[in-house]
Amino acid sequence: MVSLFDSIHSLGDLVKLVTSIQLFLFFCLSDVSCNSVAQKIYVELNNTVPCVRLLNATHQIGCQSSISGDTGVIHVLESEADLEWPLSKGPNPPYMVLLESSLFTKSIMMKMKNASSRVAGVVVVQKTSPPEFSPHTTCPNENTGVYTETYDHNLAHCNTTVWNPRGNGLSYEEFDSPVFSLKEDNETEVIKQCYFDHNRVVNGSGLQYPLCAMQLFSHMHAVTDTATCMRRSSMDFSTSPVMVCDPLGGYNVCAFIRPYNSTAFGHKENESVVIAAARLDSRAFFLEDSTGAEGSVSGFVTLLAAAQALREATQEAPPTRNILFAFFHGEVFDYIGSSRMVYDMKNNMFVIDLDNVHSILEIGQVKTCISINVWTYKCMDIRSNNNESVTNLVKNLQSSTAGLNFSLVETDFSQPLPPSSFQRLLRARAIPGIVLADHQTDINNRYYESFYDNAAHLNLTYPSNLSPEEQLEFVTDTAKSLTEVATAVARALFKQAGGNNSQVNKINADPKTVTQMLYGFLVRSNNSWFQSSHQANALTYLVQYLLANLTGTATNLTQSQCKKPDELPNESTYLYSYLWVQGVVPPNSTQRESFCVRTAVRLVKAVSPAFDLGDYISKEYSTWTKSQWKFIKARIFLVASRDLEMLTLGVGVAVLFTSLLVTYFVRTKADVLFSSVREPNNAAY
Amino acid sequence: MNLERLPNEEKLTLCRKYYLGKLQMYVCVWGFAFLPFLWLVNVVWFFKEAFVKPTYTEQLQIKTYVKRSGLGLLLWVAVLTTWITIFQHFRAEWGEVGDYLSFTIPLGIP
Repeated sequence: MVSLFDSIHSLGDLVKLVTSIQLFLFFCLSDVSCNSVAQKIYVELNNTVPCVRLLNATHQIGCQSSISGDTGVIHVLESEADLEWPLSKGPNPPYMVLLESSLFTKSIMMKMKNASSRVAGVVVVQKTSPPEFSPHTTCPNENTGVYTETYDHNLAHCNTTVWNPRGNGLSYEEFDSPVFSLKEDNETEVIKQCYFDHNRVVNGSGLQYPLCAMQLFSHMHAVTDTATCMRRSSMDFSTSPVMVCDPLGGYNVCAFIRPYNSTAFGHKENESVVIAAARLDSRAFFLEDSTGAEGSVSGFVTLLAAAQALREATQEAPPTRNILFAFFHGEVFDYIGSSRMVYDMKNNMFVIDLDNVHSILEIGQVKTCISINVWTYKCMDIRSNNNESVTNLVKNLQSSTAGLNFSLVETDFSQPLPPSSFQRLLRARAIPGIVLADHQTDINNRYYESFYDNAAHLNLTYPSNLSPEEQLEFVTDTAKSLTEVATAVARALFKQAGGNNSQVNKINADPKTVTQMLYGFLVRSNNSWFQSSHQANALTYLVQYLLANLTGTATNLTQSQCKKPDELPNESTYLYSYLWVQGVVPPNSTQRESFCVRTAVRLVKAVSPAFDLGDYISKEYSTWTKSQWKFIKARIFLVASRDLEMLTLGVGVAVLFTSLLVTYFVRTKADVLFSSVREPNNAAY
Repeated sequence: MNLERLPNEEKLTLCRKYYLGKLQMYVCVWGFAFLPFLWLVNVVWFFKEAFVKPTYTEQLQIKTYVKRSGLGLLLWVAVLTTWITIFQHFRAEWGEVGDYLSFTIPLGIP
């Protein structure tokens, strides 16, 4: 009876305990913050940009961490000589080296790469720009352009002209420790404070534990090369296969001024098209940090302005030839976008084919417009009409610059073309064309394909007392020069397409549009003008909606009609695409005046043909892929010395064995120990 | 199953069954596949019976079965250890062949 009451009591206690645990868990899992132990130990770093692993047919580049993260004692590097501490002198390896951006050079990174047993990882804090830094190779896209060994040995592999002499190739190195990038903000202050409190060397030696450490997780799934990772992605046996890598690519943005039926692919009889091309993308060592102000934004903004300038003239008096505005994506990774378009044209998967292409005008890097060099490709075959077309092109362009503030210089015949999408089209067929750029032999961009190629590098300076909205409208000098180039390009395109010469002088690019675009792409994308087009962040969609807004026509369709315009008699989704534009907020209301725009802009898939063909070791097409990963994070915490950890473990093991021994002895001597305490069994019930 | 309670002839039948792997008629296919494990069970279970207990009539046969099971087991262990060592060492170098032979491929390392 007594034992029954005892068991009921203990049951009641158990129920109470379970309920309290449930209540505790409920509060902890809901939004009420509870003091979990993990929150007291780790400080999570949220605004990090990792260096990821990229693979191609032969190599893997980028960084890799171990699957359970790499931990190292934080060391803030003060100069290159200070590298001795993490590399040889420091008593507590491995170290996590924190660098300022001015110390992020190839020599320091290579030294740390070679000492990977003592350096667990690198963190770069973006502060001041170094005088010059280009992590790209010296000869960009050397194997996939038109200058191959078979074409001309002297021009291949940059034997004549080195386009990027400052390039140190850091983006194409392989690191087997994680490299992260942080901005200079509160989190960096926390890290530096932790370092100064715990890790500073006092009187030359004697670092006392606990020390401040950082752990970086960026475990990449793919390894070796593209063929291996694509094979492994496709052969997983489990129910949820793990994708190991993804091909790089995106979308090209294309717009004809006279659209064709988008379902009719292949050659179009009696159609002649002038292609106006620019590239959209850029890269940096940390893949997500790329801005490409001088390298790519200047080019495509000019082309967008030219497209806007041509809109009225081509609608009033359509020229004989059609004009295709093509913005290629993925050009920095062996011409993904342009090789895709050429492949589609050759295989009748695009609305026109190579026979329809009359000529090409490509806008490369056009930061300063004092003199823009024109490269013309004089083809080597006997047909003379091609040479004539090229001369005509140059003449059209020269005459278009009349009255404008810059001059065109035709580059010497012996000079090869710079890395440009035009090279890819030339690889397929000798089409006459021009590449416009603001350099002759050397790209002359101190920060080519790096994360310092930003608004400041393009000299976008605004007076300090302007609000963001006023800055959006302020026309900078850079915008004025780019407007001049855009006007010249638009006029040249109009003439090249056979337009009426009398209309040419009415074609003018709008400096306000140019400066708004520069502000939106380089300073702040969350501005009212971009918001009125589309609330998108990705570059491709921004360019698509901008081009639609600048070249399309507004219609009266409602939103539901805009999604299904085929039901209406005058609209056709074969020729046009219909986009719902957010519109501006008028001054007296809060609702946006949205509308449906009818436009000929289309997004064309830009993935390298090597993945369609299944040829992952292709030398002809780009084979770049990006590895997948599960999660990427970084955190800091205090670590104890190894001796303390071993001591704790030892004590725990000792307690375990002692308790086992005690239990064994108690069990064998049970009858001796417990005989006097045993109650008689015949208690009254 | 406690061997102490079985009569000796039944012990012999059991030992033979484990040696031959014919546990049941329709499981004999699996018996061939799991022979090393059956032989391991044979050796461990009947070791005391074969070598430690005082002699009885069936013990000689039980001894032969246990010895043969032991030899077969050692052979299997040698073969499996060699193959596993070679595979783990060279899987990365074998590239495509190594991947096709694997069931799960580790992520992030060659």
